Amino acid sequence: MFHKSGSVAAAMSAVVFAAGMAAAIPTSASAQDAATSCGTDRTIDIAEMTWPSAAALAHIHAIILERGFGCTAEIVAGDTVPTSASMLSRGKPAIAPELWTSSIEEAWKKGIADGVVVEIGDAITDGTVEGWFIPRYTQEANPDLTTAEAVIARPDLFPDPEASGKGRLYSCPPGWTCELSTSALYEAFDMEEKNWNIFSPGSGGALDASIARAFTREEPILFYYWGPTSILGKYDAVQIELGEVKPEVYACNTDKDCRDEPGITAYPSSPAVIGAAAWLPEEAPAVAEYLAKAGLSNAQISKLLVYGDENNADATETAMNFLRTEQELWTSWVPQDVAEKVLASLN
Amino acid sequence: MFPELINTRPLRRAVDDGLTWVVRNWGSELEAAAHPLLVLLNWIEQLLLATPWWLFIAVFVGLAALATRNWKLPLIIFVALVGMGLMELWRDAMITTALMITATLTAIAISIPVGVWMSRSQRVRQFVTPVLDLMQTMPSFVYLIPTVMIFGPGKIPALLATIIYASPPLVRLTDLGLRNVDPAVMEATRAFGASPSQRLFGVQIPLALPTILAGINQTTMMALAMVVIASMIGAGGLGYQVLQGIGRLEVSRGLFAGLGIVVLAIIFDRITQAYGRRLQGRIGVGEAH
Repeated sequence: MFHKSGSVAAAMSAVVFAAGMAAAIPTSASAQDAATSCGTDRTIDIAEMTWPSAAALAHIHAIILERGFGCTAEIVAGDTVPTSASMLSRGKPAIAPELWTSSIEEAWKKGIADGVVVEIGDAITDGTVEGWFIPRYTQEANPDLTTAEAVIARPDLFPDPEASGKGRLYSCPPGWTCELSTSALYEAFDMEEKNWNIFSPGSGGALDASIARAFTREEPILFYYWGPTSILGKYDAVQIELGEVKPEVYACNTDKDCRDEPGITAYPSSPAVIGAAAWLPEEAPAVAEYLAKAGLSNAQISKLLVYGDENNADATETAMNFLRTEQELWTSWVPQDVAEKVLASLN
Repeated sequence: MFPELINTRPLRRAVDDGLTWVVRNWGSELEAAAHPLLVLLNWIEQLLLATPWWLFIAVFVGLAALATRNWKLPLIIFVALVGMGLMELWRDAMITTALMITATLTAIAISIPVGVWMSRSQRVRQFVTPVLDLMQTMPSFVYLIPTVMIFGPGKIPALLATIIYASPPLVRLTDLGLRNVDPAVMEATRAFGASPSQRLFGVQIPLALPTILAGINQTTMMALAMVVIASMIGAGGLGYQVLQGIGRLEVSRGLFAGLGIVVLAIIFDRITQAYGRRLQGRIGVGEAH
C-alpha cells in the first residue's frame, strides 16, 4: 500500500517536473493543479463522531482537505452505527475518520465486498483499548483487585447510591455495542447473584461526568471505558483482567439474535479505521492517498486530546493546535505543495 | 467576527475549577440534601411497580370516568394502557410515571408558594420572572452534566432537571390566577373584615384554582417532555428505550416507547383537564347563586 502510493506520488511529481522543463506555462500550471487538486466537485462530508478523538481527527482532515487540496469539505455529526449505516446505504458521509468496525463487523465487511465502502487506512496505528477500569488509588488500597473475579467479590467497595448493599458497574451508553457486550459480561459473571447492579449512564457525557466525579472525590468506581480517550489520558485508571479474548464468545455476546448463554471474554482490541465511501478513492485519489497515511498512535492521540482538555478547546481549536505544533508529522502525509498551502493558511 | 477584546480562557477555567471544588468539598453534603427526593421517588416507584397492572388500569379508568361522566375517555385510556402493556413497556412506563409524579409533586410544593409570593409583591415578581425565563430556555444539557458531577448520575439529577424545566408554568399560572381574582370580590372580603390568610386560603386560592390546575397540567406535560433527556443521565424508563432505539437504529423500539410516552401524556392531560373543567363549572354555579 505504502509502496504503491509512494510510486504514484513519485510519478506525479515527475510529470510536474517534466512539464516545468518544457516551459509551457499553462500546461505546467494545470499539471500542478492536477497533482494536488481535490479531484471531485462533490462535497466531501466528514463524520464528526461524538467522542473527542474522532471529532478532532474530523476537523484535521477537513482543514487539510479544504485548505490544502481545495476540496469542498463539510463536517457532519455522526456516530458509529448511524454513520456507517448511512455510508453503506447512501455513500454519505464520504469519510468516517475513526470508525470502530468491530461493532458493525458483518455489515461493514459486506459493504467492502460489495464495493460500497473502503477501508483507507488505520486511524489508530497501534490498536485500541477497551475494558473495565478501576482507579489506580483503589487498586493501591486493595492490591488484590487485579482480576474481574476479585473485583466482583467486593461489591461493598463500589456501592450503588440508589440501592443499598449493592455494587454498581457503570456500563455503556444505550445503543452502543459495548452496552450489549458489557451486559453480557454482567450476566456471564453472574453479577446479579453477587449483589451487583448494572447501571447505564444514559449518554457518553453522563458516563464521563460520573467518572470525573469519582476521581475528583477519590471514590472507587468500576466502569467500562475505551481508549485512546482524554478520560483515560487525564485520570489514572487501571484495566482489570477479564481473562482471554474469545472472539466467538464476544461475537455472540454482541449479537442480539444469538441465543447462546453469554460467556466470559475480554474485549478484543478493535480496529479503528479510516472508512470512506467507495467513490472517494475513485474520484479523489489524492485525498485517499493522504488519508491512507494519516494514522496516529495512541500516544499521539492522547497528546492531542489532553491539549483540548486542558485548554477548554473545541474540536476545531484542537485540530488547529495539532496542525501548528505537529507540522513534521502531518506534512509527511501530504504532497509538498499541499503542505505549503495549509501552512500558509495557518499563519 | 466580533473582536477578541478579552481572553475568556481564565474565566472558563475558573468556572470549571469552581465546579471541581464544589464536587470535591460539598459533594456529599449536597447529595445528602437531595436524599429525601430520592426516598420519595423510590417509594412511589416501588408502589407503582408493586401495583398489579389491572389495578393500575382500573384506577385510571375509574378516575377518567369520574372526571368526565362519559364512556369515551375511559375507553381510550383502557385501550391505550392495555396496548402499552402488550408492547412490553409496562415496567418502563411505571418508572417514567414515578419520575413524573415525583417531579410534579415537588414542583407543586415549590411553585405554588413562589407564585403566591410573586402575586403579592411587584419586586419579587421582577426578580422571579427572569429566573423563570432562564429555567425554561437554558438548554438542559448545560446544567445536566454539572448536576451529574455533583449528585452522581441517576435519579437525583434527572429529577432536579425535570423540576427545573417543569415548574415555571405553574409559578406563572399561580401568579396569574391570584392576580386575576375580581377586585370587587377582594374589596368585599376586606369589607367583611377577613384576615389576610382567610382572604388567601378562603377566597383567592379557591377562585384561582382552575388556573392553578391548568398550571399543574402544564407541569405534568413538561415533566413528561423531559423523560428522554432524563434518561440520558441514567434515569431509565421509557426515555431509555427511545435512546436505545436511536443508538441501534431500531426505529420500532424508539417508536413504541415514544408512543408509550404519548399514552402517559394523554392520560394525565385529559384527566387533569376534565377535573379542571368540572371545578370551573362548580365555581361558576357558586357565583350564580
